[in-house]
Amino acid sequence: MSCGLVLLLLFPKFCNAQNSTQFTTHDVEAAYLYNFAKFVQWPDDKSTSSQQFSICLLGDDEFGRKLDELIADETLQGRKIVARRLSSASAAESCQIVFIGQSEEARLSKHLAALTMKPVLTVSALPQFLEHGGTIQFLFQNNRVRFAVNLASAQQAGLTLSSELLKVAVFVEGTAGKESKQ
Amino acid sequence: MNVPSRQPSIAAKLTWMNVLVSGIALILVYVSYLAYNVYSFRNSAIESLSAEARILGANSVSAIVFDDKASAEATLSALRYSSEVVDAEIYTQAGTLFAQYPASGPVPPPPHPMPEMPGPAHWANGADVVVGSRIGFQGKQICTVYVHAHLEGMKQQAVEFAVIAGGILLLCLGVALLVGSSFRRILAQPIVSLAQTARMVSRYRDYSLRFASERSFDELASLTDAFNEMLGEIQQRDRALEQAKVDLELRVEERTAELQAANRELEAFSYTVAHDMRAPLQTISNVCYLILEADRGPSSEEEKHMVLQLRASVVAMSSMIDDLLDLSLSTSAPLRSTRLNLSSIAGSILQGLAEANPERKVKTVIQKQCYANADSGLMQIVLQNLLRNAWKFTSKSEEAQIEFGCTKRGADTVFYVRDNGAGFDQSLAGRLFKPFQRLHAASEFPGTGIGLATVQRIIRRHGGEVWAEGEIDKGATFYFTVDSPRS
Repeated sequence: MSCGLVLLLLFPKFCNAQNSTQFTTHDVEAAYLYNFAKFVQWPDDKSTSSQQFSICLLGDDEFGRKLDELIADETLQGRKIVARRLSSASAAESCQIVFIGQSEEARLSKHLAALTMKPVLTVSALPQFLEHGGTIQFLFQNNRVRFAVNLASAQQAGLTLSSELLKVAVFVEGTAGKESKQ
Repeated sequence: MNVPSRQPSIAAKLTWMNVLVSGIALILVYVSYLAYNVYSFRNSAIESLSAEARILGANSVSAIVFDDKASAEATLSALRYSSEVVDAEIYTQAGTLFAQYPASGPVPPPPHPMPEMPGPAHWANGADVVVGSRIGFQGKQICTVYVHAHLEGMKQQAVEFAVIAGGILLLCLGVALLVGSSFRRILAQPIVSLAQTARMVSRYRDYSLRFASERSFDELASLTDAFNEMLGEIQQRDRALEQAKVDLELRVEERTAELQAANRELEAFSYTVAHDMRAPLQTISNVCYLILEADRGPSSEEEKHMVLQLRASVVAMSSMIDDLLDLSLSTSAPLRSTRLNLSSIAGSILQGLAEANPERKVKTVIQKQCYANADSGLMQIVLQNLLRNAWKFTSKSEEAQIEFGCTKRGADTVFYVRDNGAGFDQSLAGRLFKPFQRLHAASEFPGTGIGLATVQRIIRRHGGEVWAEGEIDKGATFYFTVDSPRS
């Protein structure tokens, strides 16, 4: 994929640093993780308790320092964005976004069970992620990184997803009479 | 009586002024309103286009953030409901085209560079307007949306407005004409009829005419009042003048009658006196004759001389009485004009003078065929006086010559009697024709001083005139005309 419009658009400094470098799927996914934060609303009590906005990674680190570079000096509604690598789902309760890596496929149900009813946006590229109760699942279509949404999971977690986000989702599950989009 | 048609009347001028003023005002209003309308239409179009651009941008944020061109173009495709939008584009911050409307349209030309200042910008070229708007999201600029519209409606609106305004213009001109004609009734009609009255007055000199105006209190009313007052004044003066003329004529008639009566009495008196004096004179003359012719005769030479002197005085007095009678006759005798040959009358008078004074040698020149229409007896007196004067005043000349003739002066015939006698001082010519005024001493040339006065009276009665030219010792010429009746 080319120097991502998105990456270029959102992170010119990032693009400049990696001048004319090809971006990997992981790079784009890292950017999307950050972008999701802008279209999701977390319950208030949670947001006020912490001065940081945490993007947490469960399992092997797929993004490496790309993610750190992306979010360096970035804020969200005045809160500093930090990336945290976690070893267990129990530590993920204080996170706003939790990305579950490929290495966690076997433990997926366990992780999701631990996070259920918690105000955490779960994201993963694992297949069947939405069926297992995840909220956003990365897809790879037409040589592009896309994503799908499980609205029921989001509601269970107490999250509000912007219609703008749903608009660009490949499909949206968990809504009556509207199983998919596009 | 109509207004002269070369110059348009006041009424027409007023009407045209009305139409012109309201027409110009309407055109000005139309033009400025049209300009304002186009301006505000474009402004509001630009404003709504800017709003559209911002809405599109806001709705495209997620598509951009998640690199979803299809979604962005789906958003842009909503522009199909906006008939004036030709195309629209979304450019990324780096300046690359992200999405466009129509989705399968041609590659658009490079976008207008956005100004440094924040906020929307627009570029207009006639009815083509491009609006550009930067779109931010969460404190970051993420794209620029351009919307290009062809404001067909603006032109159409201008045309529609022109048609409506043209209609209103025609309507207003019609109203202006109507108002003008009613103003013509109110304002111009009184002036027109005032002018008519003035013309009537000056044409027929009828100052009794008055201009009847409706009661109003403007300048026009005071003008007509002044006009009427002026007419009244003129009429009053006319009457006074007429009265004065009548009075004057009456007085002149009265005086003339009085004078004529006095004159008649005077003439009757002098005629009686002259006539009654003749008888005693005749007696004295007869006695003188008897004394001189008696056998015994005057006793001495001295006595004879005295009687001769007495007789000479009687002759002189007799001639004076003749002259006085002539003078009296010259004014009182009735005129009986006939065609007279003055030449022959002059000839016989001169012949008589020559016979009476055989000792004198006088050359006479008489132009023949000098005719005049005049009273025979009076003209006899005129010529006798003039020729006798000439005869008398040439008595001391060496080669005496007396001339009678006539010349033409315009339509009139001028008769003259010329001599080469004693003449007179031209500066005293005015006194010649006054009765009893003499330029020469009686001792030098005997005379009564009545003859020329008689001549003048007779000539004037004939409607002619008499005048004299002379120089001392070089002779005199007496001219006269007789205004003969044309019939």
